[in-house]
Amino acid sequence: MGLDPADETEAALAPSDPRARLAALRVRLAPPDRGRDPSPVLPLGVSDLDAHLPGGGLVLGPPHEIAPAEPADAIAALGFALALCARHLARAPGEALIAAAPGQPLPYGHGLAGLGLDPGRLLLLEAGSDAEVFRALEAALHARALTALIGLLRDGLPLKPGRRLQLAAEGPAPPLLLILRPAPASLPNGAATRWRIAAAPAARDRFGTLDRPRWRARLDRCRNGRGGDWLVEWDHAAHRLHLPEPLAGDAAAAGGSRA
Amino acid sequence: MTRLRRAGLAPERGPLAVAAEGSGGLRLVALDPEARALGLRVGEPLGRVRARIGVPLQVYPADPEADRDALLRLCRWASGYAPLVAPFGPGEAADGLYIDVAGASQLRGGEANLVADLAARLARSSVPAGIALADTPGGAFALARHGGGDRVVVPPGGAPEALRALPVDALRLDPGTVAGLKRLGLRRIGELDALPRGPLARRFGAALLLRLDQALARRPEPLAPLTEAAAYAAARGFLDPIGRQADIVRTVRDLMAETAPRLERDGLGACALRLSLHRVDGALRVLDLGLSRPERCPERVATLVSLRLDRLGSALDAGFGFETVALAVTVTGPMPARQTDLGAASAADGVGVLADALAQRLGRALLRLEPRASHLPERADRSRVWVAGEGQGEGSGPAGRGATASHGGGVLDPDASRPSPRPSPAREGGPGALLDQGRCSTPMGATSRTGMEGKARTRASPWPEDLPPRPLVIFPRGEAALDVLSTVPEGPPRRFRWRARIHRVTHAEGPERIAAEWWREPGADRDYYRIECEAGHRLWLYRDGPHAPDRPAAWYVHGLFA
Repeated sequence: MGLDPADETEAALAPSDPRARLAALRVRLAPPDRGRDPSPVLPLGVSDLDAHLPGGGLVLGPPHEIAPAEPADAIAALGFALALCARHLARAPGEALIAAAPGQPLPYGHGLAGLGLDPGRLLLLEAGSDAEVFRALEAALHARALTALIGLLRDGLPLKPGRRLQLAAEGPAPPLLLILRPAPASLPNGAATRWRIAAAPAARDRFGTLDRPRWRARLDRCRNGRGGDWLVEWDHAAHRLHLPEPLAGDAAAAGGSRA
Repeated sequence: MTRLRRAGLAPERGPLAVAAEGSGGLRLVALDPEARALGLRVGEPLGRVRARIGVPLQVYPADPEADRDALLRLCRWASGYAPLVAPFGPGEAADGLYIDVAGASQLRGGEANLVADLAARLARSSVPAGIALADTPGGAFALARHGGGDRVVVPPGGAPEALRALPVDALRLDPGTVAGLKRLGLRRIGELDALPRGPLARRFGAALLLRLDQALARRPEPLAPLTEAAAYAAARGFLDPIGRQADIVRTVRDLMAETAPRLERDGLGACALRLSLHRVDGALRVLDLGLSRPERCPERVATLVSLRLDRLGSALDAGFGFETVALAVTVTGPMPARQTDLGAASAADGVGVLADALAQRLGRALLRLEPRASHLPERADRSRVWVAGEGQGEGSGPAGRGATASHGGGVLDPDASRPSPRPSPAREGGPGALLDQGRCSTPMGATSRTGMEGKARTRASPWPEDLPPRPLVIFPRGEAALDVLSTVPEGPPRRFRWRARIHRVTHAEGPERIAAEWWREPGADRDYYRIECEAGHRLWLYRDGPHAPDRPAAWYVHGLFA
């Protein structure tokens, strides 16, 4: 039924536009296990960030690891993960599951609205250990019933469970899979991207009050992509990330203190 | 005997006896009053009896199985009086039953009326019966069998007095012990009770004292109640015991496939299942499985059992194998036949399957956050066990938010005043949250959309929308902030120490005053401030109570913003 891949490539090579040619070459050089279809991605909505990510966004399916830069930034990392989850839920139907290891902070229902996430579309699972979190995530990946999965870990994602999650995510219509781990342990694993999140002073509105949360997001490692470091701002109403404008920012954001 | 007469197998008149194979041939095991009047005794050899008496005697073979069935039928009938009905065991001659009427007697107008009613209805059905009502099963047994009356009602606490004069046979002892006691001249329970306990226990064993104590209400005696036979059940026995997980799972699938057509015929599905595994050595393992929705698909049940066995691992000690596997549907729910989609199953179905799988595999339930009508932030949400068919599903995207014109965020539901043992049972999660289900209050007045209304896919969210910003994570109790430097009498903190770090405040917003819920417990009003510190962390602090000159203000960190 489908077209022969060679035909597609030839057709794509025809235009003289160098960008198109480059894209066609990328397809040709892409590792064979990627298959013919480009994996579905979640674009972050910021061209600067998306350019660093393969396929123009976070790949759905394989795990993305998010870690706080230091222990005090744990809530900022959780906020970043939930913001990504909210963005995905805004674009796709379905529900999200948070599987939390003991001791990990669970979100407060009334606070989720501030991130643009509907608590009614969120399921929680209080697991007894990291291993149980992995099992729950794997079962959820196999079930393909949820749109986004977030695992809050106590120790981190080791290689073997990471690989298992990656295998479980293969197939059609994978969910967005985010893994939050604490700051210290950094283990090699099968994560597609690894982020480090630090808190940053929030954007102010024109009255000088706290408005949009900001985080310093560092992309440490990205398979088939490039790393980077950005200050991002979350717009919960539009469900998108922004890069704060360097000039148009208001005076309060520039460092003024009222207190 | 009564069974034979009621079934029309034996004539109404004439001496009647039942005989069974005993030592040295057939012996009498039961006699009717007429036969007893001829001087016959239980245990006599049948041959000698026939030679001795001159009148014709009807003799029937004993059938313990049929007797047992008849007793169970009687038990079922008697469960109309009280739910807890237990038949006599083998040690009690298996010819009667206990009814635990505690709490049920007033429905029949008191204990005496209940006994009278019971006796009258039994007599109408021509079932001869001795009835006794006492504090303990043992006391009631003794009075019914040896009390010398058809109807005995002992007032509460009167059992020791009533039992004193009864013979020791009434204590449900084995015949050897009774003979030994009689040889010692101990014929009455009162005489036995007066003796020192130590020598008695040494001479006759602990069983004697146990029975004595049970009759005199010194030791509790649990009854083994008659369990209702499951209407939908299947079992399979094996000549060769099975022990492998795959075999058990396959057997469960076959058993469910056997049961499913019956369930389907009645339009039902299984909501809870009980799997009984009988081990060769007599041990019994019982696994109870709960399902989120009625289910009758054998494959799915087998998958759940497999997940459960995975979790048990070696804790399910198969020993030398299981010889019988029984599957019973303990709870059923309506499950009308549905036309299935040819495409993929719906997402709600998928979540249900996942919830069941997690419940069996990890033993944990999926939770959902739910708002609660309370001003106190730590009480304003709770987690509740996810139930299939509820919730907003895929129908309400985030676009659904904001569709509510007004809501009851400012109106406190009086239900919030119900006493709660802890400040926030739900946020502390786990078992507390599980126990909390089922008595959930309706949240937030005007915008409450739960249960049936939730199914109707209303677009309104139950969460209030005009609350001031709330933190992403909240602590069950505020954590004390120390060394607070703040302006007095009213003002945000400038610097404080929390979690062993000094935080310098660069920006503060507030206060938002949240009053204590006076109808629950007295407390001070809290002034909440949203602050941002140098490192960019945003915290939610409150001052507990108004400023007082003689007392330093107490500050607490209550939550963290993203």
